[in-house]
Amino acid sequence: MAILDNDGNRILAKYYDKNVFPTSKEQKTFEKNLFSKTHRANAEIIMLDGLTCVYRSSVDLFFYVMGSSHENELILMSVLNCLYDSVTSILRRNVEKRTVLDSLDIVMLAMDEICDGGIILDADATSVVQRVALRTDDIPLGEQTVAQVLQSAKEQLKWSLLK
Amino acid sequence: MITFKRDKKEEEDGGGNPFQNLEKTTVLQEARTFNNTPVNPRKCAHILTKILYLLNQGEQLGTTEATEAFFAMTKLFQSRDVILRRLVYLGIKELSSLAEDVIIVTSSLTKDMTGKEDLYRAAAIRALCTITDSSMLAAIERYMKQAIIDRSPAVSSAALVSSLHLTSVSSDVARRWANEAQEALNCDNVMVQYHALGVLYQARKADKHAVIKLVAKLMRTSPKSPYAACMLIRMAYKLLDEVDEGEELIGFIESCLRHKSEMVVYEAAHALVNLGRSGAREIGPAISVLQLFCGSPKPALRFAAVRTLNKVAMSHPAAVTACNLDLENLITDSNRSIATLAITTLLKTGAESSVDR
Repeated sequence: MAILDNDGNRILAKYYDKNVFPTSKEQKTFEKNLFSKTHRANAEIIMLDGLTCVYRSSVDLFFYVMGSSHENELILMSVLNCLYDSVTSILRRNVEKRTVLDSLDIVMLAMDEICDGGIILDADATSVVQRVALRTDDIPLGEQTVAQVLQSAKEQLKWSLLK
Repeated sequence: MITFKRDKKEEEDGGGNPFQNLEKTTVLQEARTFNNTPVNPRKCAHILTKILYLLNQGEQLGTTEATEAFFAMTKLFQSRDVILRRLVYLGIKELSSLAEDVIIVTSSLTKDMTGKEDLYRAAAIRALCTITDSSMLAAIERYMKQAIIDRSPAVSSAALVSSLHLTSVSSDVARRWANEAQEALNCDNVMVQYHALGVLYQARKADKHAVIKLVAKLMRTSPKSPYAACMLIRMAYKLLDEVDEGEELIGFIESCLRHKSEMVVYEAAHALVNLGRSGAREIGPAISVLQLFCGSPKPALRFAAVRTLNKVAMSHPAAVTACNLDLENLITDSNRSIATLAITTLLKTGAESSVDR
């Protein structure tokens, strides 16, 4: 599972099989290769190095889910959709590099909730988000700084206007 | 508004990617803040995020560095901040293979996994199982069994998946917890059902008759979870290679062609056409399904279908001929992989007329 930016650099990536690309160098080579094959063609699915890779992009981000070539493509697709939808919902629809980096902690937690050591843990974006996106609601007001309170108030206002 | 936000951010971060120029040594130095009391959750969460980011980028930590960071991190258990706690779990998992004496957090994690907060419990179970070795297994066994049958799907799934991972620590874990897994199999949650089936299969896979019994029982009820159904199809497919009597199994897989989830339908079709023994009659319905998928608006589905047809064309070229027209449409597909597969499949089915075109 990987999220790359529009230069093919890694934002987050997780490899679950120690036998496939064991070193970080091999992983990055693979990512570069994958990116060069996919960043122009909006084709959703590709075979590369004996792996089935499904992908989709948003603004300046690319989301990938890789699996063995024996794996059911639609299962991989369901994981990809879950990843994408969870991130979308965590970032309140502004899915781009900057917002991902701003909420990197939550996105990391979400990836952790989707897949555990190569086994799909949850493929339902709503429940993934429920399990990780606990930010504003759970922190007592006293612990937030004035700026954060203003920020969250602004966010809420913005979304209530946009609805 | 957006520009205002940007400006503010850039002031804070000095512009660009806030994580771009992180130095391993600086970040590890910052991790010493974790020792301060009281814990500042926001600040510590940010530093921990940086550590996790570095690890994710492939930065190597030495044993001493990792151990130091790990021990500093354990101090964060004092804070009750939800996000920080969850990041600590993540940190434990990431560092567990690098640092020494990681079992020091066992009691903190056991406390969290038996606590009230479901969000903690599921994540704590998963973290705990990454630091568990064979000597500790007995100590957590009771809690794990309880967690497997917990009413919260998150907790139950976490425990089931963790027990699958623990198989590498002790091979009979799955067998010892099979009763609980059996109970979890009746759960309504699609993921719990899938994970429970995984554990049960793990427990019985050495014993062919036990697998046959398991499959036979589930075939009658047919699992609601599409993931579990896919797995059951795979189990049935594997059994067909081993047993002589397979009518029922084939019947079950065929019935899955009418499942409401495309995922399961494809899995079933894929299994049917790959059966070594099946003749044209058996694969007929599966081919029709794949033919239908060739016209799907979803590239992944078209890809899956044409890739499978490509393989069948080797053994049963005549059966695939029926799809020639659909395959011809795919030659101009915008996805080049699909187009290539379609062309090679057509070459195998060998209809001269289509080669000319």
